[in-house]
Amino acid sequence: MLGNLIKAEFRKTTTTGLWWGLMIPTVLLAFGWALGTGAIFTSVSEFMSSDEAEELALLLGVEDPTQWQMSLFGMARSINVATIFPMIFGGLAISNEINRKTITTTFLTAPTRVSAMAAKMIVYIVWGAIFGIAIVASVSIGIALTSDAGALPDPAGWLALAAVGVLASILMTMFGVGVGALMTSVVGTTVVLLLYVLIVENGIQLVLASQGLPEIIGFLPNGAVNGLTGSVASSLFLANAGVVPDDLVDGLRAIAGALGAFDWWLSGLIFLAWTALFFLGGWATTQRKDIT
Amino acid sequence: MHDGTGRIVVQNLTKQFGPVAAVQNLSFTVEPGSVTGFLGPNGAGKTTTLRMLLGLVTPTAGIGLINGRPFNQLGNPARVVGAVLEAQGFHPKRTARNHLRVYAAAIGVPDSRADQVLQLVGLGAAGDRKAGGYSLGMKQRLALATALLGDPQILVLDEPSNGLDPEGIAWLRTFLQSYARSGRTVLISSHLLAEIEQTVDQVVIISRGQTMYYGPLDHLRDQQQGRVLVQPSDIGALVAALREDGINGIEQLPDGRIAVTGVEAKQVADTALKAGVSIYGIQEEKVDLERLFFQLTNGQFAAPGQKMGPDPYGQPQGGYPQPGYQQPGYQQPGYQQPGYQQQPGYQTPSQPFQQPGYQQPGYQQPPQDYQQQQYQQPPQGYQPPPPGTQQPPQDNPYGQQQGQGGLGGGA
Repeated sequence: MLGNLIKAEFRKTTTTGLWWGLMIPTVLLAFGWALGTGAIFTSVSEFMSSDEAEELALLLGVEDPTQWQMSLFGMARSINVATIFPMIFGGLAISNEINRKTITTTFLTAPTRVSAMAAKMIVYIVWGAIFGIAIVASVSIGIALTSDAGALPDPAGWLALAAVGVLASILMTMFGVGVGALMTSVVGTTVVLLLYVLIVENGIQLVLASQGLPEIIGFLPNGAVNGLTGSVASSLFLANAGVVPDDLVDGLRAIAGALGAFDWWLSGLIFLAWTALFFLGGWATTQRKDIT
Repeated sequence: MHDGTGRIVVQNLTKQFGPVAAVQNLSFTVEPGSVTGFLGPNGAGKTTTLRMLLGLVTPTAGIGLINGRPFNQLGNPARVVGAVLEAQGFHPKRTARNHLRVYAAAIGVPDSRADQVLQLVGLGAAGDRKAGGYSLGMKQRLALATALLGDPQILVLDEPSNGLDPEGIAWLRTFLQSYARSGRTVLISSHLLAEIEQTVDQVVIISRGQTMYYGPLDHLRDQQQGRVLVQPSDIGALVAALREDGINGIEQLPDGRIAVTGVEAKQVADTALKAGVSIYGIQEEKVDLERLFFQLTNGQFAAPGQKMGPDPYGQPQGGYPQPGYQQPGYQQPGYQQPGYQQQPGYQTPSQPFQQPGYQQPGYQQPPQDYQQQQYQQPPQGYQPPPPGTQQPPQDNPYGQQQGQGGLGGGA
């Protein structure tokens, strides 16, 4: 029974242009950011290994900057940015369904609302993973094109980052679904999600960082999800970079987009809590809602 | 799971939207094998009731059962009940065939069923067009196709004729009747009785969220008789003659005609001939179910005296629709004043007219009312002006009459 509903939900997402309409910018953005960040960190590496920087490196206590896997930061950053799209996808898909009243027929053809929502949840988890894989693939290609071979992560490191990238994408999609189900307005959902992720939280983070309270950033939704990839990237980097002075660690985490974030698993749990809050809130609302 | 009877039972359903009681303690049963009309004016609670039945709206109290079960216990509900609801959406960018395939998958029927139902509702050629480009009528057909996907035992349709062309309405009528004839259940809502009068066998009429009538349409029809509208040269004389023949259902109309209930036009004409009264116009009026429906659902929103149509005859509702007639002058027992009986030309005693239902204004009123209110032009011949009475200017009385046939002609 649930299999039928999952099939129906999949057909729902594949029979409109939304998925590829968002997939194209996702891939382009992920690829573009990867190219750009790859190029930037390559320049940074080159600078660090140049004669002028050698003294600086010595001063900082860094041993061999050429071995720095700077590309990890580029990957983490690019993944973070690109996961905005699966989040929008989740938000749009669900708010469209409610707004265009196709939810009526969905509930009329499902045994219970719980089963209809469960099917939706599974389908959007899968879509989050599909977007995540596309993002990781585009980012990897982009990074590989513009980074030195020495700056690329080893296979295990890449796999770890890819895994948290896909996980972040799934959670972002569910987060979007939750907000979309709560807002039910297509425009409202899009505006709120974008505004929050791009502007509001960045503003809060800036204030928190300037007030010496970066720890709180790790508890915010975007800070947490960035921490997921950023923490993995910085841990991987530090594990391979040899001795890095403590003063530099914070800076590196900030570069990775994980300033104030906790370990990747803790960040993941915190974002999972945020996702659960909105997703379950949206679920509960839709479960009890009078469909008129 | 469910009992498979195809019966819909609505028990004491109540829905409160904040301060608004959309549905109040509504109960009725819909049996299989017939088309049941669910009637009520806009805002009477029809849509809410149907949505409660279909599990889309949670009732404040009461329960709606399909095959003895609430909707969410039907198992695979679309196999049991298909619904065409107002504002049932389609994604504008999804083609009709894809729309149907989505829900075919949910119901668990093969994809070929999507093409079948498209053919069935006459959208076979338009299946690959996006639903957003459909006309209202095509959307209704697509909604019906969706409802039919699971080949359900019960069909529930909320205002399905909206947007359908006459051809589509005729087609829908035939379709629903044959659907019901195959032993299945059809419940169809409408705010227009005329629209579904030819389709339905049973009706549930609701108003203000409550059941006003529930039963076969024929019973409702039998409750009402036809009447004859006649424009005689001398009302008083004709009324007297009719009374002599034992015909008492006589009513004065605002336009100066009289309405005789329970007789045929021929009989009235014969009586008039015997009485030596000329007939300038005669018309037979059939019972209009729509008026009956209006009476049952009367005044949900309209203020008294501002109703949209005339009240059904024989069932006085406290006056004619025109506000003027409800002015105090009319209600006052002015006709019992002594001067009343002395009016020249008023040949018939007022007594026989004072049966309930014969509430004709003007006719029984003392002359001074005409001076004060002038709201009606007394037809010629019926009201010889009493001395000192200023009659309103007399237009051609025929000017206000509608649908008059030739002299003495039956309808």
